[in-house]
Amino acid sequence: MKKITKHVEEWFRDIPENEHNQRIKEDIIQNLEEKVQDLMHEGKSEEDAINKAIVDFGDIGDIKAELGVNTEKPRNRFNLHLGFSLWGSGLIIALVLFANFYYTPHIIWFVYPTFAVVWWPLAMFYKWLGMK
Amino acid sequence: MIRSDIIRGHLDAIILRLIYEEDRYGYEISKEIGLRTNDRFQIKEATLYAVFQRLERKELIESYLGDISHGGKRRYYKITKLGKAYLKETVEEWNEIKDIMNIFMEGLG
Repeated sequence: MKKITKHVEEWFRDIPENEHNQRIKEDIIQNLEEKVQDLMHEGKSEEDAINKAIVDFGDIGDIKAELGVNTEKPRNRFNLHLGFSLWGSGLIIALVLFANFYYTPHIIWFVYPTFAVVWWPLAMFYKWLGMK
Repeated sequence: MIRSDIIRGHLDAIILRLIYEEDRYGYEISKEIGLRTNDRFQIKEATLYAVFQRLERKELIESYLGDISHGGKRRYYKITKLGKAYLKETVEEWNEIKDIMNIFMEGLG
């Protein structure tokens, strides 16, 4: 039965510890232990019974939502990555453009490094699309 | 097995009804639901405890510790006066919904 306690502790890891939440945790452990006993009476081995009880438990997110625990995913960090790549590549291209027209205005070579640099925000853009 | 998203909106009423009959503990309620529906609907423990939290917060039910069993004390849930009134209202609402749905669904299938 230690496995059940371990699992429930894991589920409750990011739920603030207080008397009320501790009570729910203990209730759930007892509920699952009783279910395991019943499943064992039906002929399941202890391990199978524990695994079934754990799998059948459902989504702890339901309880977290009721307890007011924020289950939202952290803000999409790819917004930040995309922004950085746009600014970064823009500055590099501006520098290359300046160097090109200041030092060698008759040879247009800035498109080559620009083409290479543009892959950076492009990759970030598609990553950002995928995360949306 | 019935789709849980359809029945989700009625879970509060189902659980209130079972607690209305007698004070019950968590596992007893999930077993009772399976038994009465011939296992056509089984409530997940996570959902059940989420509903308990919601109902307790709304003061529709309250809990107390019962006698020792299976090595620990079971927590029983009992319906409050407010819960009984809410359940009565829900029953009236359900009859209304049933009538409306029957207008559209009866005679099909």
